[in-house]
Amino acid sequence: MKSHGLPVIAHKELRDHFRSKKFLLIFGIFLIITIIGMATGVAEYTNNLEDYNDRQSVATDDIYPGGIGWGKPSIVTIYLGVSALIVTLGAILGIAMGFDLISKEKETKSLKILLSHPVYRDEVINGKALGGLMALAIALGITFIVTFAILLIAGIVPAGDELAKILVYGGAVFLMILSYFALSLFMSTIASDSGKALVYTLIVFVALMSLPMLINGPVMNIIIGDPPEFPQEAYMSDSAFGVVAVSSASDTPEKIIEEPNPIWEEYEREIDEYWKKRQSVTDIITLLSPTQNLEIISYTLLIPDYAAIMSSVSFRAVDDYELEDTDVFGIIIKNIIALLAFPALFLGCAYVRFMRMDIR
Amino acid sequence: MITFDHLSKAYNGVYAVDDLTFEIPAGEIFGLLGPNGAGKSTTILMLTGLIEPTAGRCLIDGVEVAKNPIAVKHRIGYMPEDVGFYTNLSAGENLDFFARLYGMDTAARNSRIDELLSLVNLDGVDKLVGGYSKGMRQRLGLAKALLNDPAVIILDEPTANLDPRGVADYRRIIRQMAAEGKTILVSSHILSEVSLVCSSIGVLSQGRLEARGTWKELTQTFDATRLEEVKILVETRDPMPEFSHPDLIAAEYTNENREAVITARSDIRDAIAETLRDEGVLIRQLSFDRTTIEESILSYYHSGEGQA
Repeated sequence: MKSHGLPVIAHKELRDHFRSKKFLLIFGIFLIITIIGMATGVAEYTNNLEDYNDRQSVATDDIYPGGIGWGKPSIVTIYLGVSALIVTLGAILGIAMGFDLISKEKETKSLKILLSHPVYRDEVINGKALGGLMALAIALGITFIVTFAILLIAGIVPAGDELAKILVYGGAVFLMILSYFALSLFMSTIASDSGKALVYTLIVFVALMSLPMLINGPVMNIIIGDPPEFPQEAYMSDSAFGVVAVSSASDTPEKIIEEPNPIWEEYEREIDEYWKKRQSVTDIITLLSPTQNLEIISYTLLIPDYAAIMSSVSFRAVDDYELEDTDVFGIIIKNIIALLAFPALFLGCAYVRFMRMDIR
Repeated sequence: MITFDHLSKAYNGVYAVDDLTFEIPAGEIFGLLGPNGAGKSTTILMLTGLIEPTAGRCLIDGVEVAKNPIAVKHRIGYMPEDVGFYTNLSAGENLDFFARLYGMDTAARNSRIDELLSLVNLDGVDKLVGGYSKGMRQRLGLAKALLNDPAVIILDEPTANLDPRGVADYRRIIRQMAAEGKTILVSSHILSEVSLVCSSIGVLSQGRLEARGTWKELTQTFDATRLEEVKILVETRDPMPEFSHPDLIAAEYTNENREAVITARSDIRDAIAETLRDEGVLIRQLSFDRTTIEESILSYYHSGEGQA
């Protein structure tokens, strides 16, 4: 005997999402904010482009310094105005879509009825996940079509690489929202009612949002140890700024040469290691937060020089950086993998929990 | 046909159903009777494939439920006691969703849903199930249980929330289904309900089948003189006199002495009838309170005295 469970349940869930006032309300706000953000971004981009064209039209022998803000503005920056708001609202949308999917069925006793029909238990949880995923994909598809329409109305046509960045950014937004949808679906399988499921989800949501900030404080020093002590002695002596003047006895007339101060050199090496360690821990912790991952992805993709700055600027050599032509996709790959891992993990947990759930 | 073969279910080492072995032949309306906690719902949950047995097996038309739940679910229609639906959908939309799970095509779904909503008197009700009363949900539950035209119908406390008209409709539908050759299992703790519709009854107590037979067989086994006290309901057209009898324990008169509940050590209905006749009072009702007898019968089988 064949089971028709998965497509039927997924179809019902998809329809339920688009008939849900809660979903439509949040999606509506999401869409309005996106439109406002895009309109603002388009206006800003147009101004920047005019400034750039003005600079280009001035015939002068002066050499522009180059670097940040002097190049031709990128179309992707238009999306930057939307990104900050999308992070929080997108997470709320994901949570609102998933937190009562199973718990409400338990409350209304419809789960028992559903499972008495010719469906496998995994089809129920998979159908719900698939329905949510499709609803989310359609919602974000509509949002991105609207953003493209705004660009086209403003006469802005993205180039191939810009389009690729926008699409990757859209994919990352989808994965971030999907992460929170999967988290709330998991909590829905754990909690006895929808209220508890929502509370559990919000606790984890806040924890994931604030984890990097919490860790960056004194907790970081507990993990990696205190930073090396500043060599006050070397700083106060003549050898300030890390060099000592020595005279060569063999040479006549007397010649003064500068040699690195070993204490200062040691300090620089230690603090370099300290910051590298700190950065590694921060990077790992950032990977644990879907919203932080999306922020890094959006900064890397939407701020043209961000990746170059982050890869070139040392904490102590800000004045001798060189902008490199960095492969932005290479930089964000770990964040994209993390964003793929979140939904997989939470959906996996929801699946296991649902399959073991006591239906009485 | 439904077969229970040494079926057991334990929760944390405590047996809710203990070595249940019996058969319900095709075309029979079988009443599974027992007090709350007797194991009726657990038995039904195993029969519908919602939980797995700890030991033993149950079969529907020779198909083992635990091994082939999808095939079994295609053959059965189930209505749980606390029947739950999607409150954001209408009755028709709920039934349509469940009908899709059986793989029914659009035409078959539409005609079946119309037919069933008419059968349970819910046709023309144009509101979401969230606005339904418990009785209406129970009616819809019955329609849902019949959706796939099942060979076996399993009903858990089917009249729990029904009004008198709903109960009458339910009895009519159940008898109609039995006449069509369907096997029906009705679980209930209301003996009178089971005795009225079921051709055969099984008394379940502490997870074990204590007795099985027709209503007549079961009541014959039960000796009415075992009752320590009986309650007699009296209703008259005119005010009745106060009774006196050596076996009378207590009498409670209401509605200006037109209704009375008499508690006695024996069946004193004849004496009451004689008194009323002598006084020229017209009798509207003079009967045992069935619930007292039901409790006594259940407790009799529960004690193991009447074990089949």
